[in-house]
Amino acid sequence: MASTSTAWIPVRCVGFPLLRSRFLRTSWFRESRHSHFQPVAHQFKRCQNPRDQRSIRVRCFGKARTNDSFNSLLNRRFQRFQMAEKLSTSEILNQIRSSGAVGSGGASAAPSGDAAPSGDAAPSSDAAASDATGSVPTKSKVTSAAKAPGAPASVLDSIRAKGGGVAAKAPSPKSAGDAAPKGASSILDSIRSKGGSAAPASKPVAKKPVPSKPAVPAGDLPSAADMLKAARGVESGVSAVAGKTASPVKPPAVRIKKPASTVKTSDRRSVAVAVFFTPFAMAWWLFSAASSVFLLGCARFMMPNVLVEPPTKFKIGPASDYPPDTVSTKWKAARGVWVVNTDQYNGNRLIYALASVCTHLGCTPGWLEGEQKYKCPCHGSGFYITGINFEGPAPRPLERVGIRISEDGMLEVDKSKKFQEEMGQWEDPASYFQVG
Amino acid sequence: MHGKELTEHVVFGLGWIYLILVVMNAAWTVRSYKSRRHFELPEVFGGAEVPTAGIWAAYTAILMMIATAHFTGASNPDDFLLTMPDVIRNWINLMANPVSFFAASTGLFCLMIMFRRWLVQDHIGWLLLNASLVFTALSMTDYDFRQIVGKPDNVPIVAMLFIVGFFTWLYFKKAVENDDRIDQGRPLLEQENNEKVLVWPDLVYTELICMVVVTAGLVLWGIALQAPLEEPASSVKTPNPSKAPWYFLGLQEMLVYFDPWLAGVVLPSIILVGLMAIPYIDFNKLGNGYYTFNQRKFAVITFMFGFLPLWVAMIILGTFLRGPNWNFFGIYEFWDVHKLEALNNVNLSEYLWVYSPLNSMFGGLPTAPAGAGALEGAGYIFLREGLGIVLVLMYFFALPPILAGTVFRRFYLRMGFLRFMVLANLALWMASLPIKMVLRWSVNMKYIVAIPEYFFNI
Repeated sequence: MASTSTAWIPVRCVGFPLLRSRFLRTSWFRESRHSHFQPVAHQFKRCQNPRDQRSIRVRCFGKARTNDSFNSLLNRRFQRFQMAEKLSTSEILNQIRSSGAVGSGGASAAPSGDAAPSGDAAPSSDAAASDATGSVPTKSKVTSAAKAPGAPASVLDSIRAKGGGVAAKAPSPKSAGDAAPKGASSILDSIRSKGGSAAPASKPVAKKPVPSKPAVPAGDLPSAADMLKAARGVESGVSAVAGKTASPVKPPAVRIKKPASTVKTSDRRSVAVAVFFTPFAMAWWLFSAASSVFLLGCARFMMPNVLVEPPTKFKIGPASDYPPDTVSTKWKAARGVWVVNTDQYNGNRLIYALASVCTHLGCTPGWLEGEQKYKCPCHGSGFYITGINFEGPAPRPLERVGIRISEDGMLEVDKSKKFQEEMGQWEDPASYFQVG
Repeated sequence: MHGKELTEHVVFGLGWIYLILVVMNAAWTVRSYKSRRHFELPEVFGGAEVPTAGIWAAYTAILMMIATAHFTGASNPDDFLLTMPDVIRNWINLMANPVSFFAASTGLFCLMIMFRRWLVQDHIGWLLLNASLVFTALSMTDYDFRQIVGKPDNVPIVAMLFIVGFFTWLYFKKAVENDDRIDQGRPLLEQENNEKVLVWPDLVYTELICMVVVTAGLVLWGIALQAPLEEPASSVKTPNPSKAPWYFLGLQEMLVYFDPWLAGVVLPSIILVGLMAIPYIDFNKLGNGYYTFNQRKFAVITFMFGFLPLWVAMIILGTFLRGPNWNFFGIYEFWDVHKLEALNNVNLSEYLWVYSPLNSMFGGLPTAPAGAGALEGAGYIFLREGLGIVLVLMYFFALPPILAGTVFRRFYLRMGFLRFMVLANLALWMASLPIKMVLRWSVNMKYIVAIPEYFFNI
């Protein structure tokens, strides 16, 4: 599909109808027996605020043709749904009130005229079909959509039709021809066609169809100038319509949106307000602060009050308990050390204590008397009686722990000191006890 | 000696396995009979046309006799004759070592791809299933095999072997079918059999039934096979052998060849990131939504190589072939804690400085003199490991451009620089595992770069 490759999606415009169509797709809504309720609220347009010439978005809420309470309930729900885009409380109240007024007061609540019920939408869509493309499938789809106006197809089609209808000659082959409103692309198309349509409507004198500007070739990003132009076209075009049809009764939800592109100095204070003082921001700041305090509190657990561990210094008896060329495993289960008496390391007869922790991944090797080696069961590392690694993946020798002869003539092991061979620490006299 | 460990229960249970095989093959015989397939006997036997179903019927009858023999002979297990022959047992044990295992799994992988057209025939698949089941049943008469396979831990792995085999076969069957269709210009399998059904009720009902069946199966499993609980854990006592959960046995096998931070942190991360990157580095638009092999040869072979020989086969290796002290044992071999294997490993730097003429010239490994500063020490380390560092840097930085210019030229042109570099690096990381394994086995290479002073080993 050509249109799907267009990467540019004007989120502000498109996200909204997307949500809407999703909402409408619920069977609760579509299959409702009250299908004469007309959810025409999707028809929003950009208008021009006469005061500051900025783009404003007019949301035109639909009115129910009948006055039954279920419809008004739906209406209200519908509005609440639309208010997902942050309206102020007064605005919300305003809307609810106005919709109430609609229910009782008849056809006056759709002041912009575009928000007319489906009877209005059908002819315009027909016009669109015949004007823009004239293709049969589109037309049939449009008319069927007019029959079941609750369906998303109808929503999109009527948007599209409106766009096409306003632009008498606007060549929007993509939007009209590609009828199935399935994805963002079609919605995008509809928006775009609307933009395209609005341009000639605003400048009827020029009578230029403006074919290429809004309907961008597929895959190309529209330039900023194009986007601006299209947006302006929409604004001016719609404002004409809105100005003409605006009824004095009660303006429904009108929200002024400030363009984000121009940041003036006067906005700086509002930025600060937005970052620090809106309820939303304050909630986040509070949450972050509370989380930080909690994390700091967790760090406290790194320093426990009581450590249930055997003391790191312990007596292992006199040196005569460890005869030459033996590895004593009697301290392994309780303290995790082997006591070795050997002269194989540097020719001197030494007694030293090896930590029974494999230098590969920390498993506990076993001493194999027959093979005269320590062997790790996890990945097969092997160490000589001296503790030097020779097989398997262990990258360095076993570590010695501190040993000394204490004042009472007993050997004392100090596990808090480590001596690594590859760092040359086995030369340290604290790492061994020389016999004789 | 082996026959002695046969018990009445084992023989009786094997009788049930053969009975299940009988039922399966009876159904297959019926299927074969309905298909009316014939084949010609060789001239020696007269060259007559024989229905294929006849062969299957005969095979089923033999299985029936074997099953009967198990049921009747169960009372006297010592004299039971239908066991795995000792010749085969000894031969398999003799052949069992990591090198031949890896070579065999890689070889099988290549054969599977080369002969996929032969493999995907229905009766070949059925034959292979039968062969594996009969082999398993025969092996169960061996005590040591039973000890490994019968562990409650290992039951799901045995099941997994069959499941992986079946789904691989199924993939090749559909892919070969589609490849033929593409060659002949016919519509794809997925297009022709495109029967759309409704989510509700068709899919949801199926899912519900699956859910109930799986739950029931798990409950029964949990009742029948007790969880293997052991003594309370102790920080100074490690079980021997100490095995990871079965799905991590591939990682544990990697740890035998690599430094912990590499095999335990870097490689798993690269595996995960690499799997995530596949959609972005894949430039082949074909094969989307249908099975095919010919249109996606590189992708399929690369993925399957990473999955089958490098992951599933490593799980098999870790589960069934690694015993105490992480030594390698044959499937019929007694797990001897004192089995001696010469695994003296040597670093590349030791090869360079100690086991070469350089030893007499410089006197062993270059070591910093006593009292040298940290910087000087680092300089000596770089001198010592220089060759390894250069080799590793060349592997990761010189090889990709070379590949881009030669073997993967087409890839490079189609993918562009960045995507190709990602692909090349992922492929090189994947290849580093078999490379290191082969180096370890062939020349006892421990580490190419070994800097234990800073816990950096490659």
